[in-house]
Amino acid sequence: MSQTTALTDTGSAPADLGASEPVLAVENFALTFSANAPANLIDGISFTVERGKTLCIVGESGCGKSVTSLALMGLLSSPPARILSGTARFEGRDLFSLPEREKVNLRGNGMAMIFQEPMTSLNPAFTVGHQIAEGITRHRGLPKAEARREALRMLEWVRIPAAAKRLDAYPHQLSGGMRQRVMIAMALANRPRLLIADEPTTALDVTIQAQILDLIRHIQEETGTAVILITHDLGVVAEVADRVAVMYAGHIVEQGSVSEIFANPQHPYTIGLFGSIPSLGRRQGQLATIKGAVPPLDLMPKGCRFAPRCPFADRRCMDEVPPAAELAEGHSVACWYAPIEEKMGTRQ
Amino acid sequence: MSNSPHDATPILEGRDLAKRFGGRRGLFQSEPTVHAVNGVSISVAAGETFAIVGESGCGKSTLARLLLRLIEPSEGQVFYQGREITKLGAGEMRALRRELQIIFQDPFASLNPRMTVGAIVAEPIRLHGLARGRAVDERVAELLRVVGLRPEYADRYPHEFSGGQRQRIGIARALAGEPKLIIGDEPVSALDVSVQAQVINLLETLKEQFGLTLVIVAHDLAVIRHMSDRVAVMYLGEVVEMSPVDALYEMPLHPYTQALLQAIPVPVPGGRGAHDLPQGDIPSPTAPPPGCRFHTRCPHAQERCSEEHPALETAGEGRVVACHFWRDIQAAANPPAPVREGSAKLAERLELYRAHQTRREEETAAAAALD
Ligand SMILES: Nc1ncnc2c1ncn2[C@@H]1O[C@H](COP(=O)(O)OP(=O)(O)OP(=O)(O)O)[C@@H](O)[C@H]1O
Ligand SMILES: Nc1ncnc2c1ncn2[C@@H]1O[C@H](COP(=O)(O)OP(=O)(O)O)[C@@H](O)[C@H]1O
Ligand code: SF4
Ligand code: SF4
Ligand SMILES: [Mg+2]
Ligand SMILES: [Mg+2]
Repeated sequence: MSQTTALTDTGSAPADLGASEPVLAVENFALTFSANAPANLIDGISFTVERGKTLCIVGESGCGKSVTSLALMGLLSSPPARILSGTARFEGRDLFSLPEREKVNLRGNGMAMIFQEPMTSLNPAFTVGHQIAEGITRHRGLPKAEARREALRMLEWVRIPAAAKRLDAYPHQLSGGMRQRVMIAMALANRPRLLIADEPTTALDVTIQAQILDLIRHIQEETGTAVILITHDLGVVAEVADRVAVMYAGHIVEQGSVSEIFANPQHPYTIGLFGSIPSLGRRQGQLATIKGAVPPLDLMPKGCRFAPRCPFADRRCMDEVPPAAELAEGHSVACWYAPIEEKMGTRQ
Repeated sequence: MSNSPHDATPILEGRDLAKRFGGRRGLFQSEPTVHAVNGVSISVAAGETFAIVGESGCGKSTLARLLLRLIEPSEGQVFYQGREITKLGAGEMRALRRELQIIFQDPFASLNPRMTVGAIVAEPIRLHGLARGRAVDERVAELLRVVGLRPEYADRYPHEFSGGQRQRIGIARALAGEPKLIIGDEPVSALDVSVQAQVINLLETLKEQFGLTLVIVAHDLAVIRHMSDRVAVMYLGEVVEMSPVDALYEMPLHPYTQALLQAIPVPVPGGRGAHDLPQGDIPSPTAPPPGCRFHTRCPHAQERCSEEHPALETAGEGRVVACHFWRDIQAAANPPAPVREGSAKLAERLELYRAHQTRREEETAAAAALD
């Protein structure tokens, strides 16, 4: 007795398209907020997302995850934000050089974003039904009554109980978890091919978080939407990711398939992150830690940005940026000492 | 780590505590009553780390504040070292405050932005007359060092520090009164995992060093497993299960505890099998469901559950559970799958990581000793 209404007439192709073009391919993307900043806030990152797959971006707060997603959505105002280099090909077209009108059209249609705080995208003054229907009318030109029916279907689809009643509710009348569902319904109402979710469950309780993650997974299976999910919770990553990009201070320091990253983490930052999460099993001594904190831009080392906190750092690390190198198919690491056992063995 | 709770007076005990908020009657309309805490009895043994866990709004912070008498209970009593503190007058209570400290979740909100770090940490020292004159500054410097901050930071203001550093300042302040017991209300929830690990390790070290008792309020079940000796699980203002930590995680008895443990994402791909998630939202504490408060979401609920409130009953060594059917549920349940551990390679590399880190620290310490 599933409460879920299937969206069968989406017209979208089945999730499994085989080895196709990625939905999104970001290459060498760099960004700054001020012309004379001592270092780039985002400093040359590259990644791809495939149809029906989930890429998780993990990293400590302030390392540039949200800025990256806002830049992709074209939601950063420029100035102050300035893209210094790179391309972001969405279905072949570069988002960074798209005219404003096409960007607006693409948002909420081709790609959509959900946020940690649902009120970022919900207007407190209108009912949720009105807000979902409005997006549908705007992008698909459906007449009002039909858009409302569609809005109801979306609310049922994201498993809001008593959806017909909730159509006329204002956001403040809903719980946090339900508001999150409404935001997801709104983001997905026009069947985007890419969904960017920035910490969508961070503010929610574990039982509600589990429901929302289940929902995102289910939606993805059904529609083949590609997902970029930003989180700092490695448990969430293990549960939903196909690929993982570990971000530190504006760099992607390691990326690979979820199984590879968890079974064979190579970058010292990734290793330190894993060591700092307490286990749900029996206690095994004190936690490992990553000393210190992410340096501010004016103290950013010119070599490896992790060097001041890295237990393995040496002179070269301080001076030269380690390039990302592919250690195995699809698994790349930006560290002078990867693969770690091999290279660390050669040092005293 | 903890002494058997039977043979000694608990350091802190709450008996039948209840706290209701609101419920004022207006001319035309009465404000709804929030049943934040209802009939809670807990006792904390000296030297242990006792954890209170539950979802948002279940009454954890309210219970913590009741235990320190930062708010007055609607019903019930609190005992500190066998003495009822809910009866004490303001003067006696003030003297006791030194021994009972609290640190909060939000290091940003809990420090006065107009006071220097030195003044913040010195306040309890002055208030309780623990030192005077130059000795106060020396004590402040020592406390900052103890929590891993540079003594020179005493002249700076809270906004100049990161979240983890502010939490350390909060801890230094809590230590300043030379407390016997510290309650942490989500002390690490707002921090990034790497900083969270630093603060968890710090709290553990300080506990050893000063012989403290810790009460930790948290919603992160992994943090709780790592830090605590005993755990109370709360749902909608009530304790539904209380148990030593390993037993709770290895064989949760209450359906709500089972649901919580099933809902946490496990940081091992494929580490969590199929799961039955509790459906629906947490009901509002202004209108808690009758009978068992969990019955609206419980997969095992039967008719009796919506009518009769289950009492806490003993369920083995040091365990209590409030569920009419825990025995049947327990008998029918397959044992929970053991938590899968991370990869062997990761374990080896962490070993290497720690070894290098320790060596670095020793080198730095040696270099510092030379100047
Ligand atoms: N001063 C107050 N006045 C009215 N209601 C209150 C007050 N303090 C707490 N409450 C209510 O009491 C209930 C329990 O709140 P409490 O802060 O103890 O929950 P909690 O378990 O600490 O939640 P969280 O995990 O969100 O911190 C909530 O419904 C809350 O809204
Ligand atoms: N509009 C802005 N102007 C200047 N700096 C910004 C702006 N937005 C974000 N930043 C800075 O960029 C860095 C990365 O932020 P963000 O992407 O939000 O990190 P996170 O990885 O936590 O999502 C932070 O240091 C933040 O202060
Ligand atoms: S390049 Fe050097 S400093 Fe950077 S992560 Fe690798 S070993 Fe550490
Ligand atoms: S008393 Fe009934 S509703 Fe409550 S937890 Fe037990 S089985 Fe579930
Ligand atoms: Mg962010
Ligand atoms: Mg609280």
